Amino acid sequence: MRAVDDAPVLPPPEWRFRRKLHPAALFRELWEARALVRTLAEREVRIRYKQAVLGFAWAVVTPLVLMVAFTLFFRKAAKIDTGPVPYPLFAYVALIPWTFFSTSVAQGGLSLINNVPLLNKVYCPREVFPTASVVVAGIDSIISTMVLGLLFVRYGFMPKTTTVWVLAILPIQVMFTLGVTLIVSAVMVYLRDLRHALPLILQMGLFVTPVAFPLDVVPWQFRHAYVALNPLAAVIDGYRRAVLYGQPPVLSLLAIAGVSSLVALAGGYAAFKRLETGIADVA
Amino acid sequence: MLPSGSISATHIWKRFHADRRRKLLRDQIPHLSARLRGGGGRGWRWALRDVDLAAAPGESVGLIGSNGSGKSTLLKILTRVMYPHTGNVQVVGRVGALIEVRAGIHPDLTGRENIQLYGTLLGLDRRRIRERFDEIVAFAELDDAIDRQLKFYSSGMQMRLGFAVAAFLEPDILLVDEVLAVGDASFQQRCLERMRAVLNQGTTLVFVSHDLAAVEATCSRGVWLHQGIVQSEGPVRDVVNTYRQWIEAAAESTVEVGGELRLLKAEVSGPGGGPPKTQELLDVQLIIESPEVRTGRLYIGVSEGTATPIFVLRRDIQLGAGETRAHCALRSLPLPRGRFYLWVGMFEGGKRDPLPWHPATPFDVAGPSLDAAPRGIVRLAPVHVDAAWDVER
Repeated sequence: MRAVDDAPVLPPPEWRFRRKLHPAALFRELWEARALVRTLAEREVRIRYKQAVLGFAWAVVTPLVLMVAFTLFFRKAAKIDTGPVPYPLFAYVALIPWTFFSTSVAQGGLSLINNVPLLNKVYCPREVFPTASVVVAGIDSIISTMVLGLLFVRYGFMPKTTTVWVLAILPIQVMFTLGVTLIVSAVMVYLRDLRHALPLILQMGLFVTPVAFPLDVVPWQFRHAYVALNPLAAVIDGYRRAVLYGQPPVLSLLAIAGVSSLVALAGGYAAFKRLETGIADVA
Repeated sequence: MLPSGSISATHIWKRFHADRRRKLLRDQIPHLSARLRGGGGRGWRWALRDVDLAAAPGESVGLIGSNGSGKSTLLKILTRVMYPHTGNVQVVGRVGALIEVRAGIHPDLTGRENIQLYGTLLGLDRRRIRERFDEIVAFAELDDAIDRQLKFYSSGMQMRLGFAVAAFLEPDILLVDEVLAVGDASFQQRCLERMRAVLNQGTTLVFVSHDLAAVEATCSRGVWLHQGIVQSEGPVRDVVNTYRQWIEAAAESTVEVGGELRLLKAEVSGPGGGPPKTQELLDVQLIIESPEVRTGRLYIGVSEGTATPIFVLRRDIQLGAGETRAHCALRSLPLPRGRFYLWVGMFEGGKRDPLPWHPATPFDVAGPSLDAAPRGIVRLAPVHVDAAWDVER
């Protein structure tokens, strides 16, 4: 019988476990997990709307209430000039991507913690949980976009042909949101305080993002740096120009936002994969 | 690349924080400066130390060891739920795992949703899961509870569902941790049957249990873990026997025979004072020292190494002050070849037992070996039964 004390005290460092992550293998694993993302998203939607009296209406109520609140306070008090566009539309168009972002981060941030019983028992690529939350937030966004159509009718507003630019802006919005959600969800496992701080941080985010006000309030010479730090600003500005004002987005801003969203996604994913290995140890 | 169904883990080390600290910021602050200075000042507890485990496709490995020896941690590493500190892990194929007793997958979901979710996690498409659905429900005896949330299940139901899901969704590798702890006897039997069926289909099995007889009946190879170190590995019979002997030794060294009586001598002998033999006379001689005259019930028992005896004999006895000799003759020893242990205890019915139940001496029996039972049939205790067959045709 080997005595416990005879065992080497520490393993040689060169045996240190290294996970081999080939991008191709990662991609294949994610692709194979798409059914799982679907199952998880379906489940989240079902649980959410089974328990809530208003059901799917919540997807619409949040941006609508904020829109009304912004309309009352900002238009009247701050006298923001939105040109030919009615202020409620101006705010609502920004609230759709913002709500997508904040719902994703708030729900997705908790997704690993909420699924601890699962994480402790079965293997799956962990990023499916935050990803599923982002998918659910996307479904909400689709619903609130349909409401935007109703608002167009209500204000007698004609859609612009430049709306096709949305297809170029949307990926930037999704990349940034996914990147932030990934890192928040992983850090949350290690730092449970974040759970309480997160709503506050998101609320602050609403005020440093041009949701209630136009991007123009940021002086031009700072605007590129601002957009690099907060790509959502360029996303929102781009949507407003394309959907409401009939203009193409400012390409230099959009390019910077695109690059920094890509960095957010790549960095967020890399950090997630690093932190992932210890989740079962602390959860 | 190893063939599907293989397990290969080498040089596995795994550590945890010595203290399960809360993950709150204010708990981290005192450690922060220490961590910045180079990771000093925190304790680690090693759960696994240089563990190797390999299994070929279709092989069945039994993991045994006392609580906290690292068995479950090793299983978690094999499922990739946890990552080792050092070493290399290769697990090829679909892994069905039943880890932790409350092994239903998600408490907030219904049984039906759990089956679907687990199937998707195993990488099965929805059609394959539906095909297996009725079988799982029938095996787990859930009936209409299948649409109830898992948190409202009894622990037995959760267990049954967990096992059924893991065992019926066609895994290449099945990892089972302590299934037999919760289920009732009939379910245990069906679990063992199912494991045997799965093994016959070529699935690799790693089975963790404290039920040594079940491990012996199910597995071909055994691994004994103790404090994170592989103590013994080989054919399951040998490993289980080594482990039993270790339990016995540990019991002997830790048992504090704190009664007022002392067992001065315990001797077991066969016919004519020779070694004990199957179906022959067995003599048990005891000398007990007592400071005063007292009466009680003297028990002797024979076990395979654990505190649960194969049989027990009792005698109401009166002890004199000083030494008392007791002699017990078993006319026909019903034990097969092997190593056994004599346990002795004396009880009065009071608060403290004058002589607590403890192992007194090991002895080896010579004679015929037991007939091997088919895999999956658990023999509770080795007993030699004198029988004659008569087959007519």
